Amino acid sequence: MREEAWYKMLIISFALHVLIIAAFSIPFKGSSKRFDALSSYSVNLVGELGGRGGSTGGGHAEKALPEKPVPAAPARVTKRPAPIRKPVKEAVSLSKKKVAAREKTTKEELSRLEDRIRDMKKRADYLDVSKTKTGGAGGKGGTGAGAPGLPFGSEGGGKPLDPATQRYILDIWDKVKSAWGVPGMTYKKDLETIVIIKIRKDGRIVDINVEKRSGNRIYDESILRVLRAVDPLPPIPASLNMDYMELGFRFLPGDLS
Amino acid sequence: MGFSSLNMYSGGLLSLIYSAGPVAKAVMLILFIFSVISWTIMFVKFRQYGRTEREGERFFHAAREADSFKKLITIYRDNPDNSFYRLILACYKEITKRQKENNPDIKPGIVPIIENALKITISEESTRLERRLSFLATTANASPFIGLFGTVWGIMDSFREIGVRGTTSLAVVAPGISEALIATAMGLAAAIPAVLAYNYFSGRLKRIMSRMENASLYLINIIEK
Repeated sequence: MREEAWYKMLIISFALHVLIIAAFSIPFKGSSKRFDALSSYSVNLVGELGGRGGSTGGGHAEKALPEKPVPAAPARVTKRPAPIRKPVKEAVSLSKKKVAAREKTTKEELSRLEDRIRDMKKRADYLDVSKTKTGGAGGKGGTGAGAPGLPFGSEGGGKPLDPATQRYILDIWDKVKSAWGVPGMTYKKDLETIVIIKIRKDGRIVDINVEKRSGNRIYDESILRVLRAVDPLPPIPASLNMDYMELGFRFLPGDLS
Repeated sequence: MGFSSLNMYSGGLLSLIYSAGPVAKAVMLILFIFSVISWTIMFVKFRQYGRTEREGERFFHAAREADSFKKLITIYRDNPDNSFYRLILACYKEITKRQKENNPDIKPGIVPIIENALKITISEESTRLERRLSFLATTANASPFIGLFGTVWGIMDSFREIGVRGTTSLAVVAPGISEALIATAMGLAAAIPAVLAYNYFSGRLKRIMSRMENASLYLINIIEK
């Protein structure tokens, strides 16, 4: 057999292999929809209010708040921005509108929202007292000085968390961490996922909202899986007097090392 | 799309290869090379054997038609690059050699000599047609083991990570094993076509050799006429 025939066949063979590998690579790419189904849609009343407050309030505290709440690394806890100085009445009417437009809220949902608004009012009253201390540093951790589920700001430079809340958050984080296994291939990767969970009084997780995706489907899914696995969490301490609590967790692959 | 932007969990083959460890990557590269070469051999042999078989058909057709050796060699002179022509050429060389020695009585002594010459030619042709076929056998035998080596190494790595992290969660173990198993899958993907092709070409080669032996008998008959 002549040499050029060998070269020709070698090129054909190589091209065939490349085609086969490409063919085996392409069809699987469409299978990433499961994640979208898992990321549950929720009415984020607090987020809406925070965003609105930032644009309209114009006060010192609102300026310091970033658009998206991102938790500070050491605490692994984030809180949704809350209106600190903004008139509560305006926030209430706005949130109701948005909720109605997006979700066609049922009566039950509305009553829940009203409960939350009442909670927020209480907290806003509380924070109004300490706004001169907390507002200015709110931007650092990106969390603001207060949150609906967690009335005491800490990363934002506000009033530190009271021991009961701290203990509760740490309990939850320990439970999540102990159940979480970083998928093998992602272990050494620089990934970060921020998840906001809403916990009911009895510890049930009623809402999981992915605030920031890592871009790695398996990694994000492992986090959602673990959050479903740890449900129910310990109930919210009665001393906190809250029906719901929203907590944000930042998941880094290095957390388990 | 660069490799860095490749979503490694999209589930594709490329992403699995990309996310594999260095040993697994080396194993897969070796298997890829084995596979490419074995497929090249398959294509070349397919053409080569096909052509030889067609030439065999043509030879028998010509041999039935030709009543003398001279006529046969005239028919074949236009296509010298094939195994059956080499048989005729071997006979021709022996005959011309005897004629140069001015031996008037060629026929009684020349037949065993031509027989030997034909046997040698058949053997040479067999070697030529069989060349590189052994690589298919090597691929068929070695590839699964090479792939298995990659898998064993990957699983070792997975278990080590389980030990380091202290968790046996499926989410930790499964991706490592999935990575590891791709090496075995590639080994099998290289080996299975090689086994099938080796058996197929071996059978075909046997048929060609058998036809060449028949052709040599035909030639002796023609010379003896």
